[in-house]
Amino acid sequence: MTTITRQPDPPVAGQPEPIEVVNAMVAYEGRPVLRSVTFTAPRGKLVGIIGPNGAGKSTLLKAILGLIRLDSGSVRVFGQPLNKVRSRVAYVPQTEAVDWDFPVTAMDVVLMGSYASLGLFGRPGAKEHAAAKTALDQVGMTKYAKRHIRRLSGGQQQRVFLARALCQQADVLLLDEPFAGVDAATEKTIFALMDRLTAEGKTLLVVNHDLSVLDRFDLLMLLNQQIMAFGPTEEVATDDNLRLTYGGRLSLLDRADDTLKHAGPEMRDD
Amino acid sequence: MIELLGQVEMDFSQWLAPFSDRWWQETLCSALVGVACGVLGCFVVLRRMALIGDALAHAVLPGVVIAFMLTHSSGVVGLLLGALLAGLTTAVLVNLVSRFSRTKEDSSIGIVFTALFALGIVLISALPRGVHFDLKCFLFGDPLAVGTADLWMMAIIAPLVILIVVLLYHPMKISSFDPVVAAAMGLPVVLLHYLLMGMLSATVVAGLKTTGVILVVAMVITPASAAYQLTNRFWVMLVLSGVFGALSAALGMSVAFVTNAPTGPAMVLVAAGLFTLAVIFSPSHGLVFDRIRRWKLNLHIQSEDVLKAVYRLTESDTPRTVNSVAEDASMGVSRVRSMIDRLRTRGMMIADPNRVELTPKGESRAVQMIRSHRLWESYLVERAQQDVSSVHDIAERLEHAHGLADEVAAHLGHPQFDPQGKPIPPKPGE
Repeated sequence: MTTITRQPDPPVAGQPEPIEVVNAMVAYEGRPVLRSVTFTAPRGKLVGIIGPNGAGKSTLLKAILGLIRLDSGSVRVFGQPLNKVRSRVAYVPQTEAVDWDFPVTAMDVVLMGSYASLGLFGRPGAKEHAAAKTALDQVGMTKYAKRHIRRLSGGQQQRVFLARALCQQADVLLLDEPFAGVDAATEKTIFALMDRLTAEGKTLLVVNHDLSVLDRFDLLMLLNQQIMAFGPTEEVATDDNLRLTYGGRLSLLDRADDTLKHAGPEMRDD
Repeated sequence: MIELLGQVEMDFSQWLAPFSDRWWQETLCSALVGVACGVLGCFVVLRRMALIGDALAHAVLPGVVIAFMLTHSSGVVGLLLGALLAGLTTAVLVNLVSRFSRTKEDSSIGIVFTALFALGIVLISALPRGVHFDLKCFLFGDPLAVGTADLWMMAIIAPLVILIVVLLYHPMKISSFDPVVAAAMGLPVVLLHYLLMGMLSATVVAGLKTTGVILVVAMVITPASAAYQLTNRFWVMLVLSGVFGALSAALGMSVAFVTNAPTGPAMVLVAAGLFTLAVIFSPSHGLVFDRIRRWKLNLHIQSEDVLKAVYRLTESDTPRTVNSVAEDASMGVSRVRSMIDRLRTRGMMIADPNRVELTPKGESRAVQMIRSHRLWESYLVERAQQDVSSVHDIAERLEHAHGLADEVAAHLGHPQFDPQGKPIPPKPGE
């Protein structure tokens, strides 16, 4: 296995890394989805996470966000447990995760980004509205601010989700398949925006399944339950690494887990 | 059951006369509960929890009976505590059953609430002799059984629920729309869910004696569903739903007294009536406005077709009569006549019995149509890879969207000729 764990940039002294995952393991119903995942996402980098279906890409994002409990290992954000820095981390889920018939406009959804820092009883005021307007403008959706979300195209819905994360003014953004079902224009807008965000020093983790845009990422993580390779894109995106990542699971490990769970045929003595 | 239904007939005239002080108090309190039901209903409807609303209402029975057994009275505080406990038990049990067994959520709701309801009925039959528990009142509601303590309970719970929703409006909104992101932001999504369940149980109990267990779910989901037809803003939906809830309760009380019908069913029927009206008159999906929109679009298309026919006939120097225009536009003569009238009032056409002419304004509109048609044909061939022979019919329809013609032209780089080589007229004023 050619796991590349070289750090592209040495960490700045005294500044904790935005995301540090050590030995993270997650299992669903006794079946591991992530096995001992260890990596560091440095400041100001666009990190692509790719891998086949069921490789645990979304699970990794959710584990970082604390939405899924780790069975072992740890996640630290800016050197601290997530709960202390939650509002500095924004999450952009897949668009099919919500009900688009919900009675809200594009602006309403974007404004929800401000709830992260408002707490339970806070109300968005002039400052939050201004932030939401700026965010809508950054994704080129100002024209559609008052439109009901059902009447937006797939690409526009994705932009609204992105604008909500921008409105949160987080330093770390975790995006789950932001390019799924979007048009070419939206893809261009999103990449341009991502470049600007990383230039501002923000760190972006992007789950992606489209292999044709790999060179847009600064760093690449090839994931298939465990990290198959991680490092600068030009070093990691080799045919060998991709074949290794997409060329089937570590089937013996899966079978071992099945055996332990169901006491399958491999367990019998005869 | 039939025997039970037979007992529902009531006589209000004795001491709850219409417009007496007592009647006003009860109507006002019911309206308050109606607002609370309507407001909570929005969350129930949007989170697709209608079934769990029904379940809560039914599951309240064992809680109420146990409270009754322990306190030996239908005291309001015991009732409320029993109901809250039962409601939260239901929510937790449903969650446990669907998580730890191979049971989908709707089935686990069905299993849990029927079991709890059955338990309640068994408990009633186990009550000591001489202790009377009025099941009928519990099932169908009975405004005569509403005591002063019940009125106080309604008058306190309903405003309290409304206040909580106002205070927690934003977190409740995002955890209904996008619970995963809400949780990622650190909002207490699970706690808010159980708070909603708790408020729902309390409100159901408050409305129980007037509406009854079987129908109270209607007061939760029907006004909210009606409001959902009418708006695309969440806060407007909450306000409308609250208003519908209050209206249903107040009108229901009045109808019940006038017709001597039980109040619960009367309220539910009013709510259902409001819902029906909302479905018919909804501005975005309603049947009426949809018809009007289609009718207007048809008028627009037909009048433009007549305009174009007159322009074509003028170009080929054919005499323009109503009949020749009708033939060219392949429309009925009377239809063409009414379109000509329409165009004349808009200053686009001059018409006397023998002759139809375009005014300069009409002519410029007709040129605009032709420009739009030819641009759309070019677009279809070039960008949508359509066959040249098939684009005419599609463009016949698309040309009426002439507001987009300039965008199409810009998109194609301002072509001079359409795919058949016919000239595309320039933009008016160029």
